Amino acid sequence: MLELKRALDAKGHCLLEMPSGTGKTTTLLSLIVAYMKAHPLDLTKLVYCSRTVPEIEKVMEELRKLMNYYEKEMGMEQNILGLALSSRKNLCIHPSVSKEREGKVVDGRCYSLTASFVRARHAADDAVPICEFYEGFDAHGKEFPLPPGVYNLDDLKEYGQMKRWCPYFLARHTITHANIVVYSYHYLLDPKIAEVVSKEISKTSVVVFDEAHNIDNVCIDSMSVKITKRLLDKCSNSITILETTISNMKENDSKRLEKEYKRLVEGLRDATIARETDMALVNPVLPSEILEEAVPGTIRTAEHFVAFLKRVVEYIKTRLRVQHVVQESPAGFLRDIHTKVCIDRKPLRFSAERLASLIRTLEISDLTDFSPLVTVSHFATLVSTYTKGFTIIIEPFEDRAPTVSNPILYFSCLDSSIAIKPVFNRFQTVVITSGTLSPLDMYPKILDFHPVIMTSFTMTLARPCILPMIVSKGNDQVAMSSRYETREDTAVIRNYGNLLVEVAAAVPDGIVCFFTSYLYLETIVSSWYDQGIIDQLQRHKLLFIETQDAAETSLALINYIKACDNGRGAVLLSVARGKVSEGIDFDHHLGRAVLMFGIPYVYTQSRILRARLEYLRDQFQIKENDFLTFDAMRHAAQCLGRCMRGKTDYGIMILADKRFSRADKRSKLPKWIQEHLKDTNCNLSTEECVQICKRWLRQMAQPFSREDQLGISLLTLEQLQSEEMQKKIQQRAQGI
Amino acid sequence: MADEDETKEYRWESGYEKTWEAIKEDDDGLLESNVADLVARAKRKRAALKDTGAIQLGMMRHLFVVVDASACMFLQDLKPTRFLCVLKLLEVFVHEFFDLNPISQLGILTTKMKRSEQITVLAGNQKKHIEALQQLKDLSCEGEPSLQNSLERAMNGLKNMPAYSSREILVLFGSLTTCDPGDIQKTIKSLKDNNIRVSIIGLAAEVRICQEIAKKTGGTYNVLIDDHHLKELILNQVQPPAVAGSMEASLVKMGFPGGSPIVNDGTSDSSADHAPAYCLCHIESETSSLMGPNGYNCPQCGSRYCELPVECKQCGLTLVSAPHLARSYHHLFPIKPFIERAQVRETTHCFACAKLFVEAETNVYECENCNQIVCLDCDLFIRETLHTCPGCASDPVTAQMKTN
Repeated sequence: MLELKRALDAKGHCLLEMPSGTGKTTTLLSLIVAYMKAHPLDLTKLVYCSRTVPEIEKVMEELRKLMNYYEKEMGMEQNILGLALSSRKNLCIHPSVSKEREGKVVDGRCYSLTASFVRARHAADDAVPICEFYEGFDAHGKEFPLPPGVYNLDDLKEYGQMKRWCPYFLARHTITHANIVVYSYHYLLDPKIAEVVSKEISKTSVVVFDEAHNIDNVCIDSMSVKITKRLLDKCSNSITILETTISNMKENDSKRLEKEYKRLVEGLRDATIARETDMALVNPVLPSEILEEAVPGTIRTAEHFVAFLKRVVEYIKTRLRVQHVVQESPAGFLRDIHTKVCIDRKPLRFSAERLASLIRTLEISDLTDFSPLVTVSHFATLVSTYTKGFTIIIEPFEDRAPTVSNPILYFSCLDSSIAIKPVFNRFQTVVITSGTLSPLDMYPKILDFHPVIMTSFTMTLARPCILPMIVSKGNDQVAMSSRYETREDTAVIRNYGNLLVEVAAAVPDGIVCFFTSYLYLETIVSSWYDQGIIDQLQRHKLLFIETQDAAETSLALINYIKACDNGRGAVLLSVARGKVSEGIDFDHHLGRAVLMFGIPYVYTQSRILRARLEYLRDQFQIKENDFLTFDAMRHAAQCLGRCMRGKTDYGIMILADKRFSRADKRSKLPKWIQEHLKDTNCNLSTEECVQICKRWLRQMAQPFSREDQLGISLLTLEQLQSEEMQKKIQQRAQGI
Repeated sequence: MADEDETKEYRWESGYEKTWEAIKEDDDGLLESNVADLVARAKRKRAALKDTGAIQLGMMRHLFVVVDASACMFLQDLKPTRFLCVLKLLEVFVHEFFDLNPISQLGILTTKMKRSEQITVLAGNQKKHIEALQQLKDLSCEGEPSLQNSLERAMNGLKNMPAYSSREILVLFGSLTTCDPGDIQKTIKSLKDNNIRVSIIGLAAEVRICQEIAKKTGGTYNVLIDDHHLKELILNQVQPPAVAGSMEASLVKMGFPGGSPIVNDGTSDSSADHAPAYCLCHIESETSSLMGPNGYNCPQCGSRYCELPVECKQCGLTLVSAPHLARSYHHLFPIKPFIERAQVRETTHCFACAKLFVEAETNVYECENCNQIVCLDCDLFIRETLHTCPGCASDPVTAQMKTN
């Protein structure tokens, strides 16, 4: 809290690592809300970004508790409006649209019911369907602001049902004057969405990125484009649709095209964007980069633009017809496209915007078909806007199947700071926090910002509730490692298997294992099967495996939880960086132990990664090896952190690789894990590890009540106010 | 060399047990010493909780003991093996159980190979149980245990017991997994409906389902640290538990067979009572011999038994003797808990055992009535075994008052 206050005072950015389950969210919320109350002029708004919808809901719950507490203590209604925002899919209350499963379809159908031209048509002809909820909101909702309070997604829906207003647009509208906004990263980071949703958030806001250990990847993903052959084929189809619509329109209503032409000449692009519902297509370029110029002449008329798009698509198609891997810079690509099909940089840059305008003019209400074309236009705009920090890689086939031709064009962002830069520039305080951010000093480098505060907190615990261990060798003293040279070695695989079997025999309920990749998981499991290890394992626990198929994995997860609940016990084999390692918590009995088989380095042969490493080396002086280790360790820490969700929880963390005990790896683990990792537990054999586990588990199973924590990790009000404690706090404050 | 795997591990070949670490003092003060402290405090708390006055206690208990006999019971972390250690302690338990709860009944089940087996039926004869336990020693432990099967089986045995008795199951569970045929949640629910409380002692680590069963049925769940702790945990189960919910109070018909034949006090008036007869407890065994005139005759049907308490085989009457009832009686009027005090200078030794107080012991315990000071060990001993405060008993005034 102290650190956070300092950051707020300094109006700077900060980076905080706090173990999960220690009240991270509550701390952040309560301090920032208090600050907002104390200095209403300096700080007007809190934007809290989280990763998934359940996490958003959790934050709202915390906020509600805080507000109730305020009300109880202060005895009056609080004038604070908290709000969660999600996609249309989660907020829609239209009877038929909300039934759709896919986000894109919901967006498309919503657009077809609420776009301005549809509504205009409805005014003329009642048969054209519109969304009554949006109409209700448009007619009345704007004048009446939402009463103060805390609204999560369900509350918004309920409120919408009651007033018959569209909750999505209501939330969008309310963002501008709400005090606390909770939504997903993408609303702020992805320039395509950020412009529409988050444009009007004032500078004096605090932005919190929670669970932000992967923030650089999110930044990069939001700026990268991937084009496959199938996508291009779809593009060609949609271009023909465009052509026919244009020719139809020409016969029927040529005036409108003319009007559009004129508008483009004047460069009045903003006139139409102001209509909020028409935002389904937006410019992928950052707001600051948009030139307030007129659209160049070559693509001003509709036919010319369509022809232009056709040329671009054909050009990319020819580029995909390669037999070997091509890597080039955006500048090189631009030169090539200029010489081959005579396309300048400037029209390319406007293609996304021009396409948006055209679709609007043509009154095409079903946008879902056009998404491939939109992707291509985004690509064109991005490639012509940025020359630095990006690279183009064309691969004729996938690495896994070198014989199957499957050409893919990657336009990949190398610099994660590009997407996040406007966020840092615009807001006075940005807080980046997660349970696992170590090593902290890497983040300022790769995100290119200067934090005022950078701290890692540890837990104060009444008992040692995590047991990290590094197991480096099997019972036969053969070193365990997932190093490339030894990973196929049967001795290593057998040792891994024996470790798992012995741990499964000693640890109750659920065990989660993480492997470095799906490929490695498959090879290991098949050789375990041959060695009879799977049979031994199944005597103790049931076995579940994560696969790349999401549905299969979630089924496995459900059964895993069932097996843990009814006492049979289960082992889940999964992959670091997979779905399981990111979003799912294995608290209490679901994850009594986590095993990390090997260090989860990324696939280093990937060309995109190589390009990024090179770029990082040249631009930020980060050594390739440093970055790889950093990336591997943060994922390892992320996996380990899965089993620990709060102070009453306990879990074993086993790092099964010799290399973990090296100083460069060990020191990169989060502080709260390092604290418990003793030197004696750094070079264990399987047997020693199991012995330690057994003893530790018995200690942990002893009754542990609230009174035991009091005074150590839990303070009553009297204890907090006691002189001794105050002194301690003072000391700590000065020490830092 | 070939049969190396078959031969049993030598002591020095088995896992390291750093026994010296248990007594090691920790720098960060977080480890064993701390845990031991927690245990001592929990003990104290339990004692205090149990003795706080007028709760109805289940004096007639029907208890099934379920012993895990799965493969994991062969592990040697308890000496000589888990199974033998548990059986040994159970013998002590059975003895203590009948000592403290003479009018209760006990039965023993085992579970292995996903099945459950009945070793002894519910009965009040401690010799039989102890014999059965001794025979169990040769049983081989194999397969997985099944919690559900054994609970179901015990439940079937307990369901028909009269409503005024307390129905309990004690599970000694070594495995970390259970192999069940159906949904164990249903079993838990019907256990709850039948008012059966399940207490579980885990021998390895905390298993969620055991925790849940114990919590839902109102029992306790504990995991041992070492064999001493296990003994303590098992013996804790000897004390009758407070009755959960409403148990109907009713009159129970009991028989008090006549005492020794020499004293002819009217209850046994005819000389036929003391004629040599076969004892009904041993009549089925080969070695049964004609009993002398010693023994107890059922006042209702006149069958003879060599020891009490027992349920009459002929007419089903519970036969007890007056001292048995008296021994159960003290559960109803426990002595008041002693007050925890910081150590004071004046009293240098424990009143009960005359041990000198050392610096390490910070707390002493004072009786409310006689103001005598005792140490922690004596406090527990008085509470659990003696049931009388030595201070009050030795003080003529208070002792007088009590008898009046």
